[in-house]
Amino acid sequence: MTGGDGRTDAPADRVLAVPCEGDDLLALFALDTGERLGEVPVGSHPVHATTCRGRTVVATMGERSVTAVDPSGEVTRVETGVLGPSHFAVANGELYVSCSAGDALAVVDPETLTLVDRVAVGAEPHELAVASGGERLYSGSRREGVVDVVDTGSRERIGAIDAGPDARVQGVAVSSDGERGYAVDQRGARVVAFETGGDVAGDAASAGPVRAEAAVGADPYDLVATGNRVFVPGRGDGVVHEFDRELELTAVHEGFSRPVDVFEVAGDWWVLDAGAARLRSFDGAVVETPAPGLVATPVGGAGDRRLAVSHYDDDRVSLVDVDSGTVWTAESPAYPFGSVVV
Amino acid sequence: MTGQKPDADGADGENATRRGLLRAAAGATVAGAASTAGCLSVTTPADVAAQNEVSGNVGHFVGPSWLADNREDAVVLDARDAERFREERIYRARRVPFDAITARKSTDEGAVPDTDAIADAFGEIGLTPDDDVLVYGASVGSRVTRVAFALAAVGHEGAIRVLNGGLSAWNGRLGTGSRDRVSPTDYEPDPATSTWVTREWLADGAGTFNADGPGLVDVRMPEAYLAAAGSDVLNEDHDRHGHLPGAIDVHWVGNVDGRRMTDPGRLVQLYEVEGELDRSETVVVYGGDNVDPTSTWLTLKAIGFEDVRLYDGGFGEWANVQGDRGRYPVETATNVVVETDGSVGGDDGGGDFSCTG
Repeated sequence: MTGGDGRTDAPADRVLAVPCEGDDLLALFALDTGERLGEVPVGSHPVHATTCRGRTVVATMGERSVTAVDPSGEVTRVETGVLGPSHFAVANGELYVSCSAGDALAVVDPETLTLVDRVAVGAEPHELAVASGGERLYSGSRREGVVDVVDTGSRERIGAIDAGPDARVQGVAVSSDGERGYAVDQRGARVVAFETGGDVAGDAASAGPVRAEAAVGADPYDLVATGNRVFVPGRGDGVVHEFDRELELTAVHEGFSRPVDVFEVAGDWWVLDAGAARLRSFDGAVVETPAPGLVATPVGGAGDRRLAVSHYDDDRVSLVDVDSGTVWTAESPAYPFGSVVV
Repeated sequence: MTGQKPDADGADGENATRRGLLRAAAGATVAGAASTAGCLSVTTPADVAAQNEVSGNVGHFVGPSWLADNREDAVVLDARDAERFREERIYRARRVPFDAITARKSTDEGAVPDTDAIADAFGEIGLTPDDDVLVYGASVGSRVTRVAFALAAVGHEGAIRVLNGGLSAWNGRLGTGSRDRVSPTDYEPDPATSTWVTREWLADGAGTFNADGPGLVDVRMPEAYLAAAGSDVLNEDHDRHGHLPGAIDVHWVGNVDGRRMTDPGRLVQLYEVEGELDRSETVVVYGGDNVDPTSTWLTLKAIGFEDVRLYDGGFGEWANVQGDRGRYPVETATNVVVETDGSVGGDDGGGDFSCTG
């Protein structure tokens, strides 16, 4: 994940900001050297961060607020009113935050750092995805098994895609062309595809049914969608399923311990493994890492072959180059999670 | 709950105060199981009455000896249903038309007690606003406390008391059969709006409850509060399940120990120590309806909470609100449940606790 602004310019003094869930801190590291620059108290259980309008905004799951940190270190709390801020998405110039302990998305004005609205969605929303153009946002409900469709212009839920009986929707993604959406049903070990277009209006029943579905490895959580490929790690089975855009299976990549995420790094696909201290590509290349990684962040634009890896269980953060191995590794506050490059 | 944890050595003033309150309340007692009959294995009506006496710094709840001493000075209201009332009642008690005193009306702010309808109901049984009132039922469950709340809501000026132990604690004169004739009155309500809150009041404060705002207590069973999947306590008429943001859960049945109120020391432990509620701040209670939460409403007032209010619309209104539900969020993954071990005595069906409890 790069910053929410999608900026890819790479000044030399970039900072890696790492929410550390166990110590309620945002830890700051010099990206190029790993020098620990300091920590910012941000509230209970910080898990993910994004950048917006020059600020780093942290989702603190143990709060009914998110925390914005500006470049001078000034901290601003933005009330969400609902517990469990988890994932971010930027759409229509506003910052959406899933409140995973409730049934709402908080909408924050990133300029004024105020709550401007809440959008009611299915209970326990988790991951968010935005279709190209930013007019529609998709929110997966872990409790109700739907993907809610939100019109970001009116900030209203305009429909929902039913992911199936007893589905627990975790990951949600939209293809890079914006035409196809995908959702992972963790409970059913499935992935479903749906149309992002169409005349969705009214209530949940008005949204179209899923277009296709496929079985994946046990205990899936996240997924990655490109223009014509979909990757779903199955954490319980140590496999990564690869599909075409219609969810026709094209490959099952095996031999992982607990695969959690997939990254395209300079044209190659690499798998982050929470059960093994390494990154491994689909082609079989292996890069040893200081410890297993739970979350990783590509740190640069095209051509940069580095990932910032959070070693959640080992209280450590590393910068790993898939060509040359570990660039640096540093101790962090407890339970480092989803980092962002500032 | 947010906020600082108590210091290990208890040195901070706030917690010292809390402990002081705990000790003070613990000094107040509801005579209980320790009271034994003079003859082994024999319990006399006098023993039962003694077991339900209330002493110490407890408001609203009184024992049977208070009623015996003040029988001529108080209007006695029976909160049970008509069948139980006809079978046996405290002599000259008047039966409250229960459905009428739960009446609500819709406003732009949400549902509120229909004080006109409630006042009419009290007028039908000859009550005047300055009467001192004692309410009883089969125990001290939520039908009884709803009557107390309804009186407060219409601005009743006389004292409002509840008979600890219910009818079984009373060993004085009884009545039976058809009700005594009373002359209806024109009970003019003086709505006490500070006894309740509305949906919009709660929506404005979403995110502040039990943090830097008022206390908020959900009195339903933990399974309802947690929206436990597959649980048969989930109300099928509700569009959504869970609880209001920030609410803690203390099941109202914990207020009742058989037919009498739970020991006040235990109640302080539940609400102030485990629930971390502040007796000097506003506390709002709600349930699935507007009956059961009145048990907690009266209980908190009885142990010294200064400003307790009822959300009369209840979770049913909140969960089913139409329109912009983002303004009325529901939380599911919070789990601040204060475990209770109370039980409500009395007979089924026509007793004095709500069927929804």
